[in-house]
Amino acid sequence: MIRDLKRVRNIGISAHIDSGKTTLTERVLFYTDRIHKINEVKGKDGTGAVMDSMDLERERGITIASAATYCEWKKHNINIIDTPGHVDFTVEVERSLRVLDGVVLILCSVSGVQSQSITVDQQMKRYEVPCIAFINKCDRSGANPAKVARQLKDKLGHNSVLMQLPIGLEDKHEGVIDLVAMKAYYFEGDHGEHVAVKDIPENMQDQAQAARDEMIDAASLFSEELTDAILEESDISEDMIKKAVRTGVLARLITPVFLGSAYKNKAVQPLLDAVLDFLPAPVDIHNEAIDLDNNEESVVLESSFDKPTVALAFKLEDGQYGQLTYIRVYQGCVTKGDTLINSRDGKKVKAGRLIRMHASQMEDVDEIPAGHIGAMFGIDCASGDTFVSPGINYSMLSMHVMDPVISLSIVPKDNKAQINMSKALNRFTKEDPTFKTYVDHETGETIIQGMGELHLEVYVERMKREYQAEVTTGKPRVAYRETITQKALFNYTHKKQTGGAGQFGRVAGFLEPCEEAFAFVNKITGGRIPTQYIPACEKGFAACMGKGPKLEFPVTGIRVTIDDGAYHAVDSSEMAFQAAARGAFLEAYGKAKPVIKEPIMKVVIETPNEFQGSCMGLINQRRGIIQGSQEEGVMSVIESQVPLSEMFGFSTILRSATQGKAQFTMEFFSYKQVPQSIAEDIIKHKQEEKKA
Amino acid sequence: MLKKDLNLRSPVEKIIGIDNISSSHFGAVLSRAGVGKTRFLVQVALTQLLRDEKIVHVSLEDSMEKINLRYNEGYTNLVDSIGYVDPQKALRLWEDLNLNKVGISYNEASFDTAKIRDYLNSFHKAQLPMPAIMIIDGLNFDDDVTEILEELKALNQEFAISIWFAMRSHRDEALGRDGFPVQLETRQALFDKAVFLQPENNKIQAIVLKDGKNTNQKFLLEPATMMLQEMGVTQ
Repeated sequence: MIRDLKRVRNIGISAHIDSGKTTLTERVLFYTDRIHKINEVKGKDGTGAVMDSMDLERERGITIASAATYCEWKKHNINIIDTPGHVDFTVEVERSLRVLDGVVLILCSVSGVQSQSITVDQQMKRYEVPCIAFINKCDRSGANPAKVARQLKDKLGHNSVLMQLPIGLEDKHEGVIDLVAMKAYYFEGDHGEHVAVKDIPENMQDQAQAARDEMIDAASLFSEELTDAILEESDISEDMIKKAVRTGVLARLITPVFLGSAYKNKAVQPLLDAVLDFLPAPVDIHNEAIDLDNNEESVVLESSFDKPTVALAFKLEDGQYGQLTYIRVYQGCVTKGDTLINSRDGKKVKAGRLIRMHASQMEDVDEIPAGHIGAMFGIDCASGDTFVSPGINYSMLSMHVMDPVISLSIVPKDNKAQINMSKALNRFTKEDPTFKTYVDHETGETIIQGMGELHLEVYVERMKREYQAEVTTGKPRVAYRETITQKALFNYTHKKQTGGAGQFGRVAGFLEPCEEAFAFVNKITGGRIPTQYIPACEKGFAACMGKGPKLEFPVTGIRVTIDDGAYHAVDSSEMAFQAAARGAFLEAYGKAKPVIKEPIMKVVIETPNEFQGSCMGLINQRRGIIQGSQEEGVMSVIESQVPLSEMFGFSTILRSATQGKAQFTMEFFSYKQVPQSIAEDIIKHKQEEKKA
Repeated sequence: MLKKDLNLRSPVEKIIGIDNISSSHFGAVLSRAGVGKTRFLVQVALTQLLRDEKIVHVSLEDSMEKINLRYNEGYTNLVDSIGYVDPQKALRLWEDLNLNKVGISYNEASFDTAKIRDYLNSFHKAQLPMPAIMIIDGLNFDDDVTEILEELKALNQEFAISIWFAMRSHRDEALGRDGFPVQLETRQALFDKAVFLQPENNKIQAIVLKDGKNTNQKFLLEPATMMLQEMGVTQ
């Protein structure tokens, strides 16, 4: 692997479905000699096209399913990383976008900026990923790249600047004019593999000059050298322009736009050049980890091979040789045989077989240095784990994993599905720390838990598609909690004399609300309860927290203080004090004004400005609290807090209210007390459930 | 208790009267740039938040974050003005008040009252209490804003929401015939309350331009906090 990191690119290719992502990736792999035959996406016309494209992506598993595909172009290593599909999977999105340094945004020259383009653009903005744009399908009837470049400005708010002009459009699309080199490129050979560099056609010279002037004008904002050259009317070198544009791209202040037709094998090679010229190398990106031994302080990682190793496992795949763990190395170097520490659990692992993916094939490598992406075999880990050299304890991601807030029962359709479901659940819980599963012993149902409705829906879908596990699902349930709102005293004596050894224990003290989930304070003096029975008291109280006396929801936020009690020299035992604690808890709980708490989600809606008012209305109708709204270019961002129970089916409602143009993200914010009227409904529902 | 104390201390109570705020239709706070229109309007809004009312703060200049910062600062100044308050108690109260405040930041060019109408309508639909007041900050009264004001007047009547504006005047402009800055002079019939802020010997003088019997009263404010200077009434 190349050690000169300036010659490495880790990029994603993002596009609306059917914009030509698969076709383009196919050409990239062909021109970079990764594959030797171009396989076309079939059935492009008609309604089946979208599905064909998606199916092909899945079946071939090279451009999409593979987490990172490596290729070489002009002595540079390019890793093409699968970009995540769902913005709602905060954990997964964070991981995937974390390993990307730049993105090629593909747009269709006919359809222009479409809803998915908006989604991926918002993801890039959120994670501050620099990008370049490629307007594909210039051979299609109705192609209008100039319009699409304008849409990039108007709809997405990009400072887009054309770097090329098309030579002919639709069926007359022959090639492109490079406005930096002021040359015309034609693509000859069966698959356009020979790039013929010619003079700009006579009839396009003025147009090209005007477009070049515009481009240089835009680029000059990022280079004093270029500005000076313009003012002094001296020669402007290609290098000067490229440097200026690159500076703008890295700062996300300019989006250079390239054109072509991947299907007709036109202008893919100049796009690859642009990836090298304008997208960042790993050394251009600032990466940080958190030091777990130092209060989670941020640590800047250096792409240096001599420093201790820090690598992030960003994707797991089930392969024929076991688990394949994709990693990006941020610092140091992972070498075959190295001992690494998984900073999540402190376990030592040995880097055995190291590989990198070549389309669908694997190449064994001896090392994966900083800035590179590769994969390890035979490492048992979860996605998002950080591997470090012994001696440091860094993590690339926060170790805080939130408790799931929603659950769903799933029942496999048959025996085969049962087996496959187990496999799938085992895999998913490894991939995603916010996805959990357990078996409800009362009903015998398998329960999956996660961070939102969509989160669980997608896992159910993945079970079907990837593991052939057909399951039926129950209704989603919100993870309510119980808590108390005031202090209440207890003084409970557990006394049993039913023949044989008796049981005796008395505990007195009080319950009070607190910030922690559970706290126990021992203020017993004078040996009223002997020391050996105190842990039993704590255990007894803690056991009551699992199922609240009010509605059997887990109890949280209670501090128990015991300050008095009594024991019997013969009849007292640990068991007796545990029972006394349980009795005491029940005695005080009712007096402490228990309430139900519900998960409140932080909901952020991104919508075109014209739907801002209606979106705010949707929040209001859901007991939501709008914290604010901000117009950003053509889009508005609305921040709010909404009870999770009100968010079921929200994606459909939002789609219909905004013609499918808005999207939202949702993450857990906090637990808050349920209003009285809603609490009554929950109690009623719970009672009906019990009867049933 | 703390809520009541804070409202008693509010400069708005003395200058306009808290009850007077939500019962007004259109109010304006005028000054030239940088004197403290927005900070005064934040104090106006805080009086309503302290009465457990909802407020909407629309800005055509500030980002959502900046709006939030302004409210944090305004609340802190108000709390500090009454001497020692248990910081935990003050923080808890602020967390509660914050839930009733909505900051909306619009691009000036795309500002459209239809969006506000949609938003206010949703309160009706969900049978929620309507915000007591709406602050509109950043509307350029040097332009022809007749249409916008007419639409907002309609909202004021339809939803019974009091609307308060920040109105920028200019240092070099002569006052109109009625002694009002020209931005108000031509539209004075629309406004039933108006306060003019102007620098005065390292202080800010608040002059009530329109408010029935209180008209022409003058008060002195501390420029750093917009709190009333002790013995603030000067005339």
